Amino acid sequence: MIEVTGLRVVLPPSTVALHGVDLSIERGEFVVVLGRSGAGKTTFLRCLNRLVDPTAGTIKVAGRAVTGAGAPAVRGVRRQIGMVFQQFNLVRRASALDNVLAGRLGYVPPVPSLFGSFPRADRERARACLDQVGLGHLAARRADTLSGGEQQRVAIARALAQRPAVILADEPTASLDPALTSSIMDILKAINVEQGLTLVVSQHQLETALAYATRIVGFREGRIAFDGPPAALTPTVVRAIYGEGETP
Amino acid sequence: MALATIKRASYFVALVVLAWLVWDTGADPVRLARGLPWIFDFVRRMMPPDPSVLPAALLGALKTVEIALLGTGVAAVLALPLGFLSARNVAPGAVFYPARAVLNFFRSVDTLVYALVFVAAVGLGPFPGVLAVVAYTTTSLAKLYGEAVEGVDPGPVDAITATGATRLQVLRFGVIPQVLPLFLSYVLYRLETNIRAATVLGFVGAGGIGFYLQTYLRMIDYRAASTVLLVTVAMVMVVDAISSRLRDRLV
Repeated sequence: MIEVTGLRVVLPPSTVALHGVDLSIERGEFVVVLGRSGAGKTTFLRCLNRLVDPTAGTIKVAGRAVTGAGAPAVRGVRRQIGMVFQQFNLVRRASALDNVLAGRLGYVPPVPSLFGSFPRADRERARACLDQVGLGHLAARRADTLSGGEQQRVAIARALAQRPAVILADEPTASLDPALTSSIMDILKAINVEQGLTLVVSQHQLETALAYATRIVGFREGRIAFDGPPAALTPTVVRAIYGEGETP
Repeated sequence: MALATIKRASYFVALVVLAWLVWDTGADPVRLARGLPWIFDFVRRMMPPDPSVLPAALLGALKTVEIALLGTGVAAVLALPLGFLSARNVAPGAVFYPARAVLNFFRSVDTLVYALVFVAAVGLGPFPGVLAVVAYTTTSLAKLYGEAVEGVDPGPVDAITATGATRLQVLRFGVIPQVLPLFLSYVLYRLETNIRAATVLGFVGAGGIGFYLQTYLRMIDYRAASTVLLVTVAMVMVVDAISSRLRDRLV
């Protein structure tokens, strides 16, 4: 589902965020990306939908080239990839439903959409996605009046509205009360299990990673330091990811 | 040691500059003191205001408000594309730099100067006043718009981009909802300053209440002029009050 080879990213002016990463992810996996902040997790995720332009290397998602593609082709791939962010990134002044509807932007006729007109099927799709995350009753509420956990669920609904093949989630629970971590991760897990979507989720909490992942990829200083099932994540390996003498 | 020397030197330079400014502009407190009786005399001759010119003054005020409203309204729309083109995070460099330069050039000329040009071009009356307000306000709003666009939270923009939206859709759904309240607030603020600017437009023949003020001052009818001044003050206060109340609601 995701094929990454030789991915290298140099962020301006000269920070090497990723040094040649190779990774292959199969359909239906629930991959948790671990690592300290600055290890390259976010850059890696943002390369997969070209929010960050790789310096070198190739990426394919759902059989389509992400790297080397022109703008229309990149938009075509992005439609296939839902993304959930640490800060939710909702449009604060728009309603929950309108935020979810934005997930349809890659599909609807572009000119009417600029005037706020969306086909009925897309509206219904957005509403169904909001129901799926349990927030159908808050459809008309302005996004900035929702709690953090609710906002993140709206953001997940927006990603689902894209009918994606892959969902990327960049530290989706890091801005939330720890008590809400499992509710968000449970929703992501349900999407993975029930709809068979491929998930790539970055996390800094080791316990959460172990509880949800089918596969863990550990980043350290822009390189993959571990790649394997949660069961193989021994204390030695954890130290290799997080560094000596540090507890995650 | 070196820092203390620099500090002392800069005090000295500031003092020299100040002394030169006072000398070159002929600033003289004694002259101001000698002139005060004339100001009192001027004010005394303005009293009491002449109520018979009130209808004319009110009509002039209405025309001034109209000039400011129409000019600001047209400029608010014209400034939209210019604002986005002069925002570093939206426009490509090839567009951004020329757009900024053109805006700075046109903004360095005040409304009153534009009024002189437009009066010469289309003749006397409120219309050249409207054109002058449009010319100045478009460029100044475009700059404010551009800065608002540069200040948007990149998060929602990333999120909309990630859905596969086109550049225009990203602007429409990621940027505009964030900047629209700011834009409206700037437009109202500009409306307030344009009411003041439009007041003096009449002095150069571009219509409105300033025309009456200038006429009565020329005719040495100070009591009529004071009526016009009072109406002007009232007009500015009313518009400011309405506008600031609307602006408070936007935030």
